[in-house]
Amino acid sequence: MIEIIGVTKSFSTTSSEVVAVNDVYLEVKPGEYILILGRSGSGKSTLLGMLSGLIRPTAGTIRMNGMDIGNLSDDKISELRAKEIGFVFQFSGLIPTITALENVLLPTLFCPDGPGSRSRAVELLKKVGLSERADAYPRTLSSGEMKRVAIARALINRPSLLIADEPTGDLDVDTEIEIMELFKDLNREGTTIIMVTHNPDLAPYASRTFGMDHGKLVKNPESFCSRTWRLEPSVHSDKGI
Amino acid sequence: MSSPHLHFFQILIRNITNRPYRNIATILAFAIIAATLFSAQFMIGGAQQSLDAGISRMGADILVVPEEYSSAAQTVILMGEPTTFFFRDSGFEQISQIPGVAKASPQIYVATLSGQACCSAPVQIIAIDPLHDFTVSAWLKENPGVTLGKNNIIVGSQIFGDIGTDLLFYGHTFHIVGRLERTGMGIDCSVFTRIEDAYVMADESGVKAVQKLTIPKGMVSAVLVKVDPAASPFVVASEISRQIPGTKTMTPNGLLNAVSGQLGAITSLLYGSTLAVMVISIPLLGFISAMVAHERRREVAILRALGAKKTYVMWLMLAESLSIAIIGGLTGIGAATVILVGFQDFIAISLKIPFITPSLLTILVDGCSTLFLCIGIGGIASLYPAILIARSEPYETIRKGEL
Repeated sequence: MIEIIGVTKSFSTTSSEVVAVNDVYLEVKPGEYILILGRSGSGKSTLLGMLSGLIRPTAGTIRMNGMDIGNLSDDKISELRAKEIGFVFQFSGLIPTITALENVLLPTLFCPDGPGSRSRAVELLKKVGLSERADAYPRTLSSGEMKRVAIARALINRPSLLIADEPTGDLDVDTEIEIMELFKDLNREGTTIIMVTHNPDLAPYASRTFGMDHGKLVKNPESFCSRTWRLEPSVHSDKGI
Repeated sequence: MSSPHLHFFQILIRNITNRPYRNIATILAFAIIAATLFSAQFMIGGAQQSLDAGISRMGADILVVPEEYSSAAQTVILMGEPTTFFFRDSGFEQISQIPGVAKASPQIYVATLSGQACCSAPVQIIAIDPLHDFTVSAWLKENPGVTLGKNNIIVGSQIFGDIGTDLLFYGHTFHIVGRLERTGMGIDCSVFTRIEDAYVMADESGVKAVQKLTIPKGMVSAVLVKVDPAASPFVVASEISRQIPGTKTMTPNGLLNAVSGQLGAITSLLYGSTLAVMVISIPLLGFISAMVAHERRREVAILRALGAKKTYVMWLMLAESLSIAIIGGLTGIGAATVILVGFQDFIAISLKIPFITPSLLTILVDGCSTLFLCIGIGGIASLYPAILIARSEPYETIRKGEL
């Protein structure tokens, strides 16, 4: 269970203070698939940064399984990230000097007692359709392949939460669908997913969809998106904010 | 069987080996620093060890020579450049009577002629008085099977000719009965015989040699003095100089100072070069580290996002820099050792210093101190960038672009 209670994040600039996330409330139950839509600069990535403990909120509380992550030390938050959170970024974020398999194994360095292992890494690469490319270096992989390696890496320690920040932002349509189907499968297997994107076409994959505008989380994303959305029935019912 | 997990050192090794060009350049910089510093230490250590070995072989606390030949005597002892000189034997008797003198031993120095059967260049014959000698007799005690009998010689390590064979000096045949260990000093190019045989050789030279040798009776070239344990060599040397005008006394410390003077220029050059290389390379390596840190900030941000602690990231960056410093340092030390050991004779002759390869312990100590310096430089150069990168805001960095 993730609880975001009145969270605000503001950044000081030389001339003014910018409020990136403004008094956000959200409760995410285990197994949910949350999609947050919004334009660039709307504050959705900052919200993910705070959820992962990489950015500290200016105000408010974020609880993960009852634990206030805002009160944790940097080392404790790092441990929490290693054990409980899987990350998929817009850019693959693979380390160029190690192979695909080693990239998948990377989070095990920070969670040595976790469930991650070489055999699991091989299994995950197989799951994302890359078992043949285990020994390939990132520079030899396509964008889609790199993204799939990144997803396998995010899952190596069996995280309870998968955070995806524009995971299909730089992919072609076919690869985007492949990745979203993979996410859907993972969610069906019980992984909680919180994903941000600016692509409203991905809304049908989520159990709940929110919009983010000027730092505010809104329940009805159509109200601020200019595109015509093809909102189809979600996999799960809308549980509201 | 591969390990089920990934390990810190696997990442470290991959990060070093998969960025070859920049890392090789950095390794070379460290190798140059290490080679320069290690060479300076090696040469000073080699000269010191040579002096210690040579002086220990001589066994004397004071060497008394004619004042006008003090420089020549020093050259004989240090470099073995042959020379012939004498002063009145009465000096020897007087020296023996001076308080604090435990033993005194006269020696006669004779330079042989060039083109002898033994050597391509003239060698130094050092004729000793077996009754008073403590230089060769100490060696003979260590080698009980050897005696320095009539027409026998004990040769320095650099003299050609096997034990049991003969050598010809001034037409006189000498028989090699022993060979001294290498000292790197003049002793290596010297031949020891008895004073009475030297007189016979001189007497026969008029007939047998191309040039007659004259060793005036009642004259010696040098007197080696061993001082009582309770006495000060400096005080005894001063007393000898005072009581026997026209003589010059030399002590091991004096010889060491002389060598240090000769070494001074080259050591200044080597240490100066090391300092210059360090002054240039520390900011340069710091700049490279900062560049690398900047280039890798996204990689570090990803590691942080995956659960790496700040300290882990900092250690990874530092470990990479230190590993490169160690590889560079070892490369430089190894290369310098091969060159210095391979060309030690050439170096000694070129620089006109006594020299032998320092002991393994000295080499290890010098190598370790050089390596620690490289590690220190690597640490200093990379510490600040490593701290900066560990403290950077990871999420913003990740969002800014591809690795």
